[in-house]
Amino acid sequence: MLWLYLHFPHLLLDHIRRTSENVSALVIVEGSGQKVIQACPTAQSMGVKVGMRLKTAISLAPELGIVRADQQQEARILEDQARWLYRYAAHIVLVPPNGLLAEVGSLQRLYGGLPAVWQIVEEVLHERQLTAWPGIGHTPLAARLIARNGKGECTLDKNHILRIIGQMPLLTAEFDERTCTRLQRLGLNTLDEVFRLSPADMARRLSPETLAYLQKIQGSRPDPQAPWQPAHYFRQQADFVQDIERSQGLLFPLQRILSELEKDLCWRQQDTDSLLLMLQHRHAEPTRLRIRTSGPEHRAEAFLNLISLRFEQQPLQAPVVSLRLTVKRFLGREAPGGQDLLGESQDLKEAWHTLMSRLQARLGENALKQLAPKADHRPEQAWSASEVRRTSRVAATTTNQLPQRPLWLLRGPQPLTEIPQAWFTGPERISGGWWDDRRVHRDYYIAQLSNGQLAWVFRDVREGWFVHGWFG
Amino acid sequence: MSEILNTLMQDARIWQGHRHNKTTQPAEPTGYPVLDNQLGGIGWPRGALSECLLDAPGIGELSLLTPLMQRLSMAGKTVFWLNPPHTPYAPALARENINLDQVVMIHTQNKGDLLWTLENCLRSPVTGLVMAWPGKLATREIRRLQLAAEAGSNVCVLFRERRYAEQNSPAALRLELEPGDQQSLKVSVVKRRGSWPGQRCSLAMARRAGLLHSEATRVVQGPWPTSAR
Repeated sequence: MLWLYLHFPHLLLDHIRRTSENVSALVIVEGSGQKVIQACPTAQSMGVKVGMRLKTAISLAPELGIVRADQQQEARILEDQARWLYRYAAHIVLVPPNGLLAEVGSLQRLYGGLPAVWQIVEEVLHERQLTAWPGIGHTPLAARLIARNGKGECTLDKNHILRIIGQMPLLTAEFDERTCTRLQRLGLNTLDEVFRLSPADMARRLSPETLAYLQKIQGSRPDPQAPWQPAHYFRQQADFVQDIERSQGLLFPLQRILSELEKDLCWRQQDTDSLLLMLQHRHAEPTRLRIRTSGPEHRAEAFLNLISLRFEQQPLQAPVVSLRLTVKRFLGREAPGGQDLLGESQDLKEAWHTLMSRLQARLGENALKQLAPKADHRPEQAWSASEVRRTSRVAATTTNQLPQRPLWLLRGPQPLTEIPQAWFTGPERISGGWWDDRRVHRDYYIAQLSNGQLAWVFRDVREGWFVHGWFG
Repeated sequence: MSEILNTLMQDARIWQGHRHNKTTQPAEPTGYPVLDNQLGGIGWPRGALSECLLDAPGIGELSLLTPLMQRLSMAGKTVFWLNPPHTPYAPALARENINLDQVVMIHTQNKGDLLWTLENCLRSPVTGLVMAWPGKLATREIRRLQLAAEAGSNVCVLFRERRYAEQNSPAALRLELEPGDQQSLKVSVVKRRGSWPGQRCSLAMARRAGLLHSEATRVVQGPWPTSAR
């Protein structure tokens, strides 16, 4: 087994920096807000140092962007990193707060050697604008020690790895303070010197936990790691240093998230038809937007178009602190065949979905309707309007059995205000609805009014005359 | 003659009064040979606006379009109804053999949305026919729609009130519809490309209510007791 450890020295900083367009000086402060714990290069060039008091930092760089560290947020960001790493390696372990462990020994044949694996990881890190110190070790702890000390090398040689670790001073080997002083009192300064003690000696002089720790580094004691499993949904969040007041400003971070979604969907070989966008505000309830497409979709561009249409319709209620995009609904992707059974090409189908999604995004989901006849004798109940859907069902064949009906149906019967000029067919008695309290008992006639309109009129039980439709 | 001028003549954007040109502009037959003849043998222009001007619904204005709707919807093209004044009645459409899967009805809240929707529908390759009841439109807005229609190659029919017949319009085809004798529809061409307007014809539309000329009225009993009202 060979392990790759990725140590992210300032993950939160990287996360925030890549979601904002214009990069100004930025620091992360600890929970209590007193001390700087991470500083971006711009801030560092202005003299801000890690460990500095916040007040000093602000006086050095007045325009400083400040973000407070948040454990939950860090855990979430770490998981985001695991998600992309999962595309390259199967066995991943999260090491909170800022490390990832991946088993790479089994990947060598897949990628063609360890250097290739190393190169891929470095490329992806670069692409994602992430700072990470990689380290390779024959045990998880060895990899971790090497990575955290920035001594990472692409090597397979176990002895070489042990030599690197051996040279490390005790202080960097992450012993607790008491063990460290005790070892120093024994006159031991590097790990190598500790390794050279015999196990019996060590057990007598040191605590059993320390022995186990040392053996785990060396690899003489098993150190099982439970693999992390990716959740079956997509979730990404962008946090902003400064509140975003106009929706236009949300499109830049969204574009990045959506292209990540596109990659994720491609990788899953799936599509989706609904996105959930949550905008967090500082002093108000979060805004939740559901973006629906009318069919399976995976292109980032299409999603972005729909979202920007939605933003045009619905201005922001309050400045946005962070946004989160969640996708929980995944659909199987259809094989891109040239033509399906109906002779409909893929392009046309896609164009149809794009058009419907665009219209729905701007007009609202209820603005578009598809019509269908229903088996009922009452004219009001004999049709239905439903949401638009691309169906491939063959048109009903019983069309000639349908009775003669007008092409226009009024939304409700209108009183007949004049005496018709001519009468045609009738009466057609329609009576029913005793089963659902929408009783209809009418005699229908076709009649022509004085201005030439051909009307569908009826007389109800109370001898009232109404127009119910026009033969358009 | 220059090439540009030739093209313009071919598309019938420019025409000479003494000559009756056969145009080559793309079009869809109306399904009524009489009307096709009046329209230079072609029918509804594609990639251009058409206007139907009428006073009141129920004179056969939809039946004028049912052959086209039927053909396009069966060919897998979508037929849009934008802001129809009443409900298009599904059983009647199904009876006309129109594929209802391809019929989409859209209602918009304001004129901005309406124009935007129309433009989007017109530019899409999936659209076959757009029927819209836009109400009052400024010439500038019709011009905008005309440009959108040119971008696609669909038939777009605007239904407007007859009083707009006097108003100037950039639409390629303008028809005035009036009810005629025996439930027929009188169509007069107010404007068309490539020739003089002013043609008139009368289309038999009695079929839309299942009536035939020869047949006497089939009312079983005079249902209108005049004394009762």
